[in-house]
Amino acid sequence: MLLSIEPDGPVPIYQQIRDRIVEAIAAGELPAGSGLPATRQLGVDLGVNFHTVNKAYDLLRQEGLLRIGRKSGAVVRRDAYSGPPDPGWEQDWAGRLRTLLAEATAQGLDPAAVVRQCQATVAEFGRAAAEGEAG
Amino acid sequence: MTPGIAIADAIVPLFGVAMVVSPAITRPTLQFGVRVPPEQAGTPVIREARRAYQWRTAVVAVVATAAAFGSWGHGSAWLPRVILILEIAAGVACYQLARRKVRAVKASGDWFAGRRQTVVADTSWRADPARFPVWWLVPALAVIVATVVARLVIGHPPAHVPLAGFAVVIEQVWLTGVWTGMLRLVYRSRPDLDTADPAASLRRYRALLDTYTKAALVFVALFDVSMLLLGLQRWGVYHLTGGAVIVLLLPILAGLILFFAVAFRAGRRAWATGSRPSAATDRDDDRFWKGGLIYVNHDDPAVLVGARFGVGWTPNFGNRVTWLLAGGYVAILAGLIVLLTTVGL
Repeated sequence: MLLSIEPDGPVPIYQQIRDRIVEAIAAGELPAGSGLPATRQLGVDLGVNFHTVNKAYDLLRQEGLLRIGRKSGAVVRRDAYSGPPDPGWEQDWAGRLRTLLAEATAQGLDPAAVVRQCQATVAEFGRAAAEGEAG
Repeated sequence: MTPGIAIADAIVPLFGVAMVVSPAITRPTLQFGVRVPPEQAGTPVIREARRAYQWRTAVVAVVATAAAFGSWGHGSAWLPRVILILEIAAGVACYQLARRKVRAVKASGDWFAGRRQTVVADTSWRADPARFPVWWLVPALAVIVATVVARLVIGHPPAHVPLAGFAVVIEQVWLTGVWTGMLRLVYRSRPDLDTADPAASLRRYRALLDTYTKAALVFVALFDVSMLLLGLQRWGVYHLTGGAVIVLLLPILAGLILFFAVAFRAGRRAWATGSRPSAATDRDDDRFWKGGLIYVNHDDPAVLVGARFGVGWTPNFGNRVTWLLAGGYVAILAGLIVLLTTVGL
């Protein structure tokens, strides 16, 4: 998996690392059970403090996407094929989606375009995940 | 002539050549320590700065080499070393002149304005790490064993100095150990990935690392051979004098030339980038490079990073571990020098 961040960008680095990993899981690049590099190694590879990587991994653990073991390290806990999300998760996500959709509305984006964009993105993840599963 | 003088004399022209060719084996997006976007790498001002640098360093190399060989056989033992230091200083000055020019044109053109500057990591680098070619250490170790055996067979060391006559072995173990340790550290450090084409640049980096390491280990083995030949001379197997001492050092010289040649070829291939158009560009990290050569970044946990100029690696002086390692290196080296001079091995 290629993990690309903007160290001098406006989004905090730990958030960027977390976002890229979530996208890779959705796209089937990181199926359930695949391991991630140790925090120190990823810190060296990205040139960021390993506490930053730790923070990203911890966030993903809290969200139920990673399992962090003493021996196994960070392992992807679930993906698109692992069944429905944990209870209560959807409500939390809907709250964040609401903010994202509010941004589009406030910026004057056509509602039909918003829906089209959402459908295209979900379809893209679905296709990529199916290809990843097949491959 | 002592072996030390001969080595310093030989390094002067080699360093000169390395200085002149270094821009050709540095990645195109790094011009004299200045990060530039790929499409600006061929700008006339940069080409001109490179030409001027190459001419200046070529003159420095020729003058220094002439001075080194002109003083051959007479003058102080320190003369070749002084010439080498002056040559390095002049090379750094030429580099700084070129760097100033590139920095000025970069600043005036505001080349990174509005660009998405990214750093990319490939997780496969850790999942499937490059393997250190352990077997290539065998020749060096075999030569060390042969040296120990030769010492034990040829003479009987005085009982009151248990390590008598083993100075060359200590030098062999030291150099072999330091190089192996450094190379192992390189294997744990991060690869230099090109944001525009990370997967291909990782493949090229793996090839570079493999070739570079093998060439370095061959050099180490040849260094050990020279030490064995020196040992045999000290233990009275033969007695070469004057210019003939050079013969003992031929393996080291051959190793150095081979190492430089292989590093040059590998470097040229490593950065043979396709100019793929890309929305993102490598991060403008000039502020972490003091003088365009020394890396100081307190936020970066890396101990070694890719060198800014030529092919190789350089320490991150913003990392405490680097200072600890450097301190350990100096302490052991000082200990060995004291051991070799006071005990009189």
